[in-house]
Amino acid sequence: MTTSNDLRIERTFDAPIDLIWAMWTEPDHFANWYGPMGAKIPNAEMDVRVGGRRHIAMAMDTPRGPMEMFFVGEYREVNPKTRLVYTEAMAEADGNLMTAEKMGMPPGAHMETSVVVELEDLAGRTRMTMTHIGIPADSPGGQGWAMAIDKLEQRVAAHRI
Amino acid sequence: MTAATLDDARLDETFAALANSTRRAILARLADGEASVNELAAPFDLTLPAISKHIKVLEHAGLVTRSRHAQFRPCRIHPAALANVATWAEQYRHIWDDRFDRMDTYVQQLRQTPPKKAPER
Repeated sequence: MTTSNDLRIERTFDAPIDLIWAMWTEPDHFANWYGPMGAKIPNAEMDVRVGGRRHIAMAMDTPRGPMEMFFVGEYREVNPKTRLVYTEAMAEADGNLMTAEKMGMPPGAHMETSVVVELEDLAGRTRMTMTHIGIPADSPGGQGWAMAIDKLEQRVAAHRI
Repeated sequence: MTAATLDDARLDETFAALANSTRRAILARLADGEASVNELAAPFDLTLPAISKHIKVLEHAGLVTRSRHAQFRPCRIHPAALANVATWAEQYRHIWDDRFDRMDTYVQQLRQTPPKKAPER
């Protein structure tokens, strides 16, 4: 399955554009909403300027105990209040990129994704368009079973059940 | 409940059902053709009731259907449910949608209790 791996979501918030921009660019605000369900963001470093680094720690309780994950990346485009582009990849605790092999992926697999945030002022409300580019079909988010589903689909297709 | 949340609930169920190696193995076996519970249990070191339980989860998630007519009620894979998870990016849609729900709630909280530094509008 190598279909498009870009994801685009559009939302309109009943809040001024300054506040929505702050949600993405101020660590305290960002940490409040970003963690997936059940996860916390104990640390977010965000040097919001072109070439600036970001380093996000995510902590969650799993059935196997507490777990910490790290995401690093770089800001590529910063047009205050209207457009933000950053990259993201999983990292070790020290900030070094995690290799594809370490995540059980084929060596050299491309693990970096980009997030594009576009904001538009609608007289006090804000339209936000978020595009997540290059989500690998077998990304860590998918754990092992992404591949299992692929195989399964191929088999289903082959047997035309 | 909107149609979207119902779809989400369904997708949650599908993902929960797939997040288990035994159930994936059962699906993989069914991709080769229909099978009875006994046949499905054969490769596993599990009791029939345990296998039945896994099959019920798959059935509930819409991934497997069972014949009502034949006596041994063979299980069949139902590929339509898999189509929901086919686009991998959809899993991320789920994560982002949850995040933006939280952003929305948080933003509204902030607006009800304006920070001292920045008076509201």
